[in-house]
Amino acid sequence: MEHTFIEILRRALDEELARDASVHLLGEDVAAGGAFGVTRGLAQKHGDKRVRNTPISEAAITGLATGAALCGLRPVLEIMFIDFATLSMDCLVNQSAKYRYMSGGQLAVPLVVRTQAGAAGGAAAQHSQSLEAWFIHVPGLVVVAPSSPAEAYGLLKSAIRLGDPVLFIEHKRLYTMKEALVEDAALPPIGKARVARAGADVSLIAYSAMVRTALEAAERLARAGVSVEVIDLRTLLPLDMQTIAASVRRTHRAVIAHEAVLNGGVGAEIAARIGDELFDELDAPVRRIGCPFAPIPFAPELELALLPGVEAIERAVHELLGAAAQPRE
Amino acid sequence: MARVALEIPKIGLVMDAVRVTRWLKGVGDLLKAGEPLLEVETEKSLVEIDAAVAGRLAEILVGADQEARVGDPVAWVDVADAPDAQPPAPAPPLQRAAAPELPARPPAARAPGRVRSSPVARRLATEHGLDLRGIDGSGPRGRVQLADVKRAIDGAATAAPPAAAAPPALAPMRRALARAMSLSNATVPQFTVERAVDWTVVETLRTQFAATLAPESPRLSINDFLLQAVARALDEHPAMNATFTGDVNGPDARVVPASGAHIGFVIAVANGLLVPVLHHVERFGLAELARLRRECVERGLQGRLRREELEGATFSISNLGARGPDRFAAMINPPESAILAVGRQRDGVVARDGGVHVRRLSDLTLTVDHRVVDGRLASDFLARLVEILESRDWHLG
Amino acid sequence: MYHALWRIRLFEEQVQRLAGAGQIPGFPHLSTGQEAVAVGVCAHLRREDALFTSHRGHGHVLAKGSGLEQTLAEILGRDSGLCHGRGGSMHLVDAANGVLGATGVVGGNLALAAGAAWAAQAQATGSISVVFFGDGATGAGAFHETLNLASLWRLPLLLVCENNGVAEFTSREEHSTVKHVSSFAAPYAIPTQTIDGNDLPAVHAAARDAIEGVRRGAGPYLLECMTYRMAGHYVGDAQQYRSKEELAAIREKCPIERLKKRLAAQGVAAAELDAIADRARQEVEQAVARARAALRPDPASVLADVYRSPALHGIRG
Repeated sequence: MEHTFIEILRRALDEELARDASVHLLGEDVAAGGAFGVTRGLAQKHGDKRVRNTPISEAAITGLATGAALCGLRPVLEIMFIDFATLSMDCLVNQSAKYRYMSGGQLAVPLVVRTQAGAAGGAAAQHSQSLEAWFIHVPGLVVVAPSSPAEAYGLLKSAIRLGDPVLFIEHKRLYTMKEALVEDAALPPIGKARVARAGADVSLIAYSAMVRTALEAAERLARAGVSVEVIDLRTLLPLDMQTIAASVRRTHRAVIAHEAVLNGGVGAEIAARIGDELFDELDAPVRRIGCPFAPIPFAPELELALLPGVEAIERAVHELLGAAAQPRE
Repeated sequence: MARVALEIPKIGLVMDAVRVTRWLKGVGDLLKAGEPLLEVETEKSLVEIDAAVAGRLAEILVGADQEARVGDPVAWVDVADAPDAQPPAPAPPLQRAAAPELPARPPAARAPGRVRSSPVARRLATEHGLDLRGIDGSGPRGRVQLADVKRAIDGAATAAPPAAAAPPALAPMRRALARAMSLSNATVPQFTVERAVDWTVVETLRTQFAATLAPESPRLSINDFLLQAVARALDEHPAMNATFTGDVNGPDARVVPASGAHIGFVIAVANGLLVPVLHHVERFGLAELARLRRECVERGLQGRLRREELEGATFSISNLGARGPDRFAAMINPPESAILAVGRQRDGVVARDGGVHVRRLSDLTLTVDHRVVDGRLASDFLARLVEILESRDWHLG
Repeated sequence: MYHALWRIRLFEEQVQRLAGAGQIPGFPHLSTGQEAVAVGVCAHLRREDALFTSHRGHGHVLAKGSGLEQTLAEILGRDSGLCHGRGGSMHLVDAANGVLGATGVVGGNLALAAGAAWAAQAQATGSISVVFFGDGATGAGAFHETLNLASLWRLPLLLVCENNGVAEFTSREEHSTVKHVSSFAAPYAIPTQTIDGNDLPAVHAAARDAIEGVRRGAGPYLLECMTYRMAGHYVGDAQQYRSKEELAAIREKCPIERLKKRLAAQGVAAAELDAIADRARQEVEQAVARARAALRPDPASVLADVYRSPALHGIRG
C-alpha cells in the first residue's frame, strides 16, 4: 500500500520516538503538526514533553537542541524552510559541527535538523532555495537529501541513530509523492549512494527531487537509444565517491544534476573529484546541470524558465554523446 | 662545381629495401654535411639519412612513398670542386621523382601537432599500440573519443578492401616479420615447456613498492618483475643465455654465450610487432626497468627506436596482457634462443597443503631452440624462474 | 573560598605572564578581578550541573573543579590539556566536571545552556545549567530568544551576567540604553537581582537563593553581578580606553582585597590568610611547571574526532 512522503516521515518519527526515550521533536508548530503536517498527531501520542512547539527563534532553538544533545537527548529539530537555516547558522556551524572536535572527543552532538528545500510554484526567492552546498563545506556535519518516501524513511532513521549532527533536507515537491514501504527493509547507511537505474553510456548523478527528474530523463533517453545510469547520492556529506567511480569507470561520462544554483554547488565538488580521480576514464568533460545564477522568481512561468528539468538533462546528455557537429562554444 | 650522387646507406643488419617517407630539404636548398636530408622507413623503424656532403640539393631521384635499395642514389648534390670530385654520372634508370612534396596532411579538422583526444581514448590507444594521429575523431572539434578508438581496433580486423583495387605491396615491417618467422620455422628446431605461476607475492609487492616509489616514477608492471626474474634465472643457467650461429652441418657452428642478460620484450605497433631489447637487465632494479621499458615502448610506438635497441637479445618475453589467451606458444625470434609466452592473469584454484585456495595465476610457456637448450635445461630454467617469481626477493633499485 | 579566589587570580597571572612571553598561541582573555562571581556561584553547583561560559572563562572552569594543570595545558595547546589541544583558551571543555563549554562567539552558547537545562528537565536528573556571560552578550538576539524560551519552558537555567561595564573596547553606555542587564528579566517574567560581584559573601548568598529556586523547578533566574575587569579585554590589550584614575579605583575594588579585609575583621590571622595564598601559589606554580613540560599534540592525529561515528572517521568530505 502506498503512502505519501509526509505520512512515511511521520511513521519514521513515530517509530523512533517509541523506540528511544531520548528522542525528542521540537520546532515551530511541531506539536500542532508542523507547517507541512509531518508531525501531526505525534504530540498527542507521545506527550507534549517529547514533541514540543517552540517560538519563532531559530537561533535559540538550534542552540537549545544542540545543548540538549550534549546532555543525553536525541533532539530532532524542525527548521521550517532551509531558507531560515541562515538564522541557525551560528549554532550549526560554530557549535554543533565543532563541539566534538573542539572538546577533543569528550562530547558528541546526536542532533538531527530536519528541513525542506526547493521551489514549488510561487514560494518565491526566500522560501524556495536549495542551500545544501553551504553545509557540505563544514567539517563535523552530515548532510542527507532523500529522493523518495521509502528512501526518506530509512535515511531519517539512520540519521537519528547516527550520533553526529545531521542536516536532513527534504524537498517540498516530494511531500505528496507516494510510494510503498518494504517492511523490515534494511536501513540505508549514511554515506552510501545507490544506483537507481543501471546504464552503460553515461553516469547521471543526482539527489533529492532531481532523482525523479533524472529517472524520467533516463527513460526518454532510453527510447532514443541512450543507456543512462542514474545514481541517487542520498548523502551529500560524506560523498560516496566509490559508487560514483565504479559507475564512471563503466560509462566514461558523467553528468551531475541538482536544483541548486550551479555556481559553487554540490555538483562542482563532485565534478572536481571526478576530474581528479577518474581523469583517465573520461571520454568527455564532466557536465553539471543546475539553476542559473538568479534568485527564484515568483511568477510561475519565470520559475519554470529557471528550474532545470528533464529537457535540460536530455540536452546535456545528447551533447555529451553527440558528434563533432555540436561543439558547445 | 661537381655533381655528386647521394645514396641510401646500409642501416640495419638485415636491410633490403626502404621506403622514402619524406624529404626534409627541397631542391635548391643548401646542405651542410651531416644534416638530416630525408626520412625513410626501414623494416623496423623510421630513420633519418644525413647528407653525406655539403652543397646544394640539385635533383631528387626518389620521391616520397617510393622504394629504394641500399646503394641506390636518391639525389644529386652540387658541391664545390674537390680534387676527387666525380664527373656527373649519366642519368640513372630510376624514374624521375615528382617535385618533392611533404606527405599528405592529416584531415583538415585537426590542427597540426597535438591530437585532441579524451583521456580514456588515449589510454585504450596506447594499450593497443595505436597511433592517435591515424584515427579520425568524431568528437567536438575533431576530438578522438573512445568509440573512435574502438572502431579503429575493430576495423583493423574487419576492414573490407575496395572492390576493384589490388592489395597493396607489403609494408617493410610486415615483410621483415614474415621473413623472420619463416626463418624461425624453417631453421630453428623448437619445443616448449610449461608451468603455472602464482602472482600473489608479486602483486602484493607491487602495491607495497608503489608506495615507496617517487611520484613521477612509472608504475611497476608484471613485465618488470618478469624481466628481472628472467635475468636472474639466466644468470644461474648460463647455458640458456647463448645463441646458435653458423650452419648446423658445417664446421663453423658455434653456441655463442651472451655478455649479459639482454632481453627483448614484444610490443604491438601499428603495422605489426617490435621487439625492443633491454641490455644488461641484470644491472637494473625494478624501478629503473619500469622506466626503461616505458621509454622503449613510447619510442617504439613512434618508430624512433635505434638499431642497437632492436638487436642483441638471446631471450624475449611476450606478454599479451589481460586480453591475451590463457596460454600460448610463441615462436623463437632468430637469432635468439628462447622466448617466454605469458598467459593472461586469472583466478585459478590451487590445491596446496591439503587445502584449496583461489589465487591469481598465469600459464608460462617457454619455447627454446633445441640446438642450444635441451629438455632438462629448459625445465630447470623454467622451474627456477617460477620460484623467483613466487619469492619475495627482489631488487627494487 | 579565599583559597579558591587566589587559585584563580594566580592562575590568570601566570597565563598573563606566559602570554606575554609568547608561550600561548592565540589570545587568551583574563578574568582577573572577576573571581568572586565564579567562586561564589560555583560553590553551590554539583559536579553534574552543566556550566557554560564565555571567552573569558578560565575562572569559571577552575571554580567548577577543573584541574589547574589540565586547564593550563589546554591553554598552552598541549596533548594533556582538557581537549588535547583542540580547543584552547576560548573553548575549554571538561565534561567530567560538568564544564560543557566555553565559546568564542559572544552569546553563542546561551541557548546551548538552555538546552542542557532542558535535557536535565526532560530526564528529571535534578541538575541545573549555569551560563556565565558578559554584558556585551545582551546585544545578541540569541540572548533575548533564550530568555524567552527558558521562561516559557520553565527551564532550570541560571544566567549569570558579569557586568563589567565594558564590552570589548567600548563602555556599556555606548552599547545599550539599558543600564542594568537585570532590566531584561522582567519582560520575560524571570526573577532577577543585581549585586556587587566583587563582594564574595554577597555573591555567595545571592547565588544560593537563586540556585535553590532554579533547582526547585521555579524556572530560570538572571543574576547580574557588577564587577570590573582588571586586566584588558585580552592579553596585550593596552587598555588605552581607561584612565589611570579609573584603573586605580578598580584595583581598590579587588574582591580578594575586600575579602581579606572582611576575614581579618572577623578575626582570622593574617598569617593564616598568607598561608592560604601561599598554598594556592605553590599549587599554581607546580601546575605551570607540569603543564609547560607536557607533550605537544601529534600532528598525525589532526583528523581524529571530527565525528563520533567510526564510519565517518577521517572522511575527506
